Amino acid sequence: MGVQGGRPPAMNIVVLVKQVPDTATERKLNPADNTLDRASSDGVINELDEYAIEEALLLKEKHGGEVTILSAGPDQATDSIRKALSMGADKAIHLNDEALHGSDSLQTAYALAQALRTTEFDVVVLGSESTDARTGVVGAALAEYLGLPQLTLANKVDIDGGTIRIQRQTDDGYDVVEAQLPAVVSVVEKINEPRYPSFKLIMAAKKKPVTKLDAAGAEIDPAKVGLANATTETVDFAAAPPRAAGTVVKDEGTGGVQIADFLASKKFV
Amino acid sequence: MDFTESEERLALRSAVAGLVAGYGPTYYRSKAQAGEYLSELWTKAGELGYLGVNLPEEHGGGGGGIGDLAAVLEELSAGGCPTLMMVVSPAICGTVIARFGTPEQQRRWLPGIASGESILAFAITEPDAGSNSHRITTTARRDGSDWLLDGRKTFISGVDVADAVLVVGRTEDARTGRLKPALFLVPTDAPGFEARRIEMDLVSPDHQFALFLDGVRLPGDALVGDPDSGLLQLFAGLNPERIMAASLAAGSARHALERAVGYARERQVWGTPIGAHQGLAHPLAQVKIELELARLMTQKAAALYDAGDDAAAGEAANMAKYAAGEVSARAVDQAVQTLGGNGLASEYGLGAAIAASRLGRIAPVSREMILNFVAQHSLGLPKSY
Ligand SMILES: Cc1cc2nc3c(=O)[nH]c(=O)nc-3n(C[C@H](O)[C@H](O)[C@H](O)COP(=O)(O)OP(=O)(O)OC[C@H]3O[C@@H](n4cnc5c(N)ncnc54)[C@H](O)[C@@H]3O)c2cc1C
Repeated sequence: MGVQGGRPPAMNIVVLVKQVPDTATERKLNPADNTLDRASSDGVINELDEYAIEEALLLKEKHGGEVTILSAGPDQATDSIRKALSMGADKAIHLNDEALHGSDSLQTAYALAQALRTTEFDVVVLGSESTDARTGVVGAALAEYLGLPQLTLANKVDIDGGTIRIQRQTDDGYDVVEAQLPAVVSVVEKINEPRYPSFKLIMAAKKKPVTKLDAAGAEIDPAKVGLANATTETVDFAAAPPRAAGTVVKDEGTGGVQIADFLASKKFV
Repeated sequence: MDFTESEERLALRSAVAGLVAGYGPTYYRSKAQAGEYLSELWTKAGELGYLGVNLPEEHGGGGGGIGDLAAVLEELSAGGCPTLMMVVSPAICGTVIARFGTPEQQRRWLPGIASGESILAFAITEPDAGSNSHRITTTARRDGSDWLLDGRKTFISGVDVADAVLVVGRTEDARTGRLKPALFLVPTDAPGFEARRIEMDLVSPDHQFALFLDGVRLPGDALVGDPDSGLLQLFAGLNPERIMAASLAAGSARHALERAVGYARERQVWGTPIGAHQGLAHPLAQVKIELELARLMTQKAAALYDAGDDAAAGEAANMAKYAAGEVSARAVDQAVQTLGGNGLASEYGLGAAIAASRLGRIAPVSREMILNFVAQHSLGLPKSY
């Protein structure tokens, strides 16, 4: 683990990156085992993870150090790892093992925690949820497995010496949450504006080191991962019902009020 | 033989597509209507190194090839922002200076071209010498160590945003006969240099100008490279120019096709999406095929050029430019038809694209001149002119 106490001379930042099916394409589940059919659509970096990568790069620019991408996923996750490297991360760890197929959120958190034990870090940054599973619990479970403080839903992160302070986004404002490093922090999209990869970094990405890690290499207990051992089960699935026709508000003097009421009922205002 | 682009090229495409998605056709149109340049997009693309991918690394470029630059332009165009000055500044002018400029000219111009902070326009077309560049009359004469440049140019793009214009002229001792060109770097603020905007029926942030060069005094080092290499310089610029023009046209065709297909999937007037009718589906499928053929030839031309085979690249670049020019006109034509009334509604931007889609058949070299080239050089047929 990172330097104990005091100001770390340079920070080791790990970003968790998940490859998800492109939300712009039609996504499918595999009827054979009710897991995601990853072959049916293009894989892209989970959108919130791009914000996590950006925040890690900003922290590195401010404090120095290295940004490592950690991704658990099948072979094709390599594309997303490259993309993360082309945004400016320094290296990557790719946890890839057939035994992990079908792992649920808790098992994934366990596997990621094991993978994290193979490297030094001061802070782990991740997106607060993924666009495919949307459980939003991996960060919390990971912190628990690692025995580290978790700071969730950050829309601002500051690190000063060994202390990390975030603004935790809430419905009506934010809480300030503080912890000692090392820590796990999840981010929301208000936090920054992810950068586009420059041509130079795109060309350099291929030469950056990607460490391949399998379950054994991460000392993952095979009995604790995979579809057969999952703590949750997808029993059935059905297509979302087609969108119902919208409500037409005819303005007879109260149109404004009706729209405001509608927006308020959906918590937009 | 390899028919897939490298991982890096694909990553570059996806990065550029991501960038332009934040701008898109609405941005392009509003800039055009406000009479403003695409400065925000141009600056950002420059910062990310996209505008100078083809230029040497030691001069601030990306060290890639024309194939990389062509990919950037195709993606920008497909995203609704056909960035015309990329054809001119980094592709033509950047290539000519990188290959033939003096070390001082390279230091002076290439870093700015690569980052987008400097823009160079390119002027070859003259009122009495359109497709026939042997009739160019812009002439430079010596005055001590200086040059004095006189002549007229027309349809020169982007002079309003350019720092200088790379002007194709001839020297006084080679005033008539077959063109022995001499290329000059002419600052747009030089005394005696006048640019008048030509009214065009294009909705575009790029404007065309008539240039009046009246005894423009230039220092001796305004002449690019050495005086005997003018023809080679011109040829060096031509392949990148055609490959880039093809990429702009192909990207614009992609944009129109995407709009048409998106619309044809959704719109229903007989209880089934209009895209199910073969009367609409087949022409769109044809456009798709012709588009992929044009892209393939463009990539082949770029690969040949980047491998150093200028001669083979020449034939392929001309064919690619022809094919892309045709499919851009056809894609927009069919897209307008697919959208019915909306095809001409401002909201969809296709009406304005009709005029723009004809550019690929006219400039930088017309369809007929390409057919002449292929008839004479590829087929060995006699010449009529
Ligand atoms: C939007 C726009 C931007 C431009 N930007 C630039 C620029 O930045 N720099 C620059 O230098 N120029 C620029 N041009 C000029 C462009 O390159 C010329 O318009 C083009 O080369 C055609 O020349 P022309 O207009 O004089 O047509 P002409 O040469 O007069 O040709 C008219 C028609 O006759 C046909 N024709 C001519 N000769 C023959 C022949 N031998 N056989 C068969 N048919 C023939 C042509 O194909 C064409 O259809 C631009 C033009 C446009 C429209």
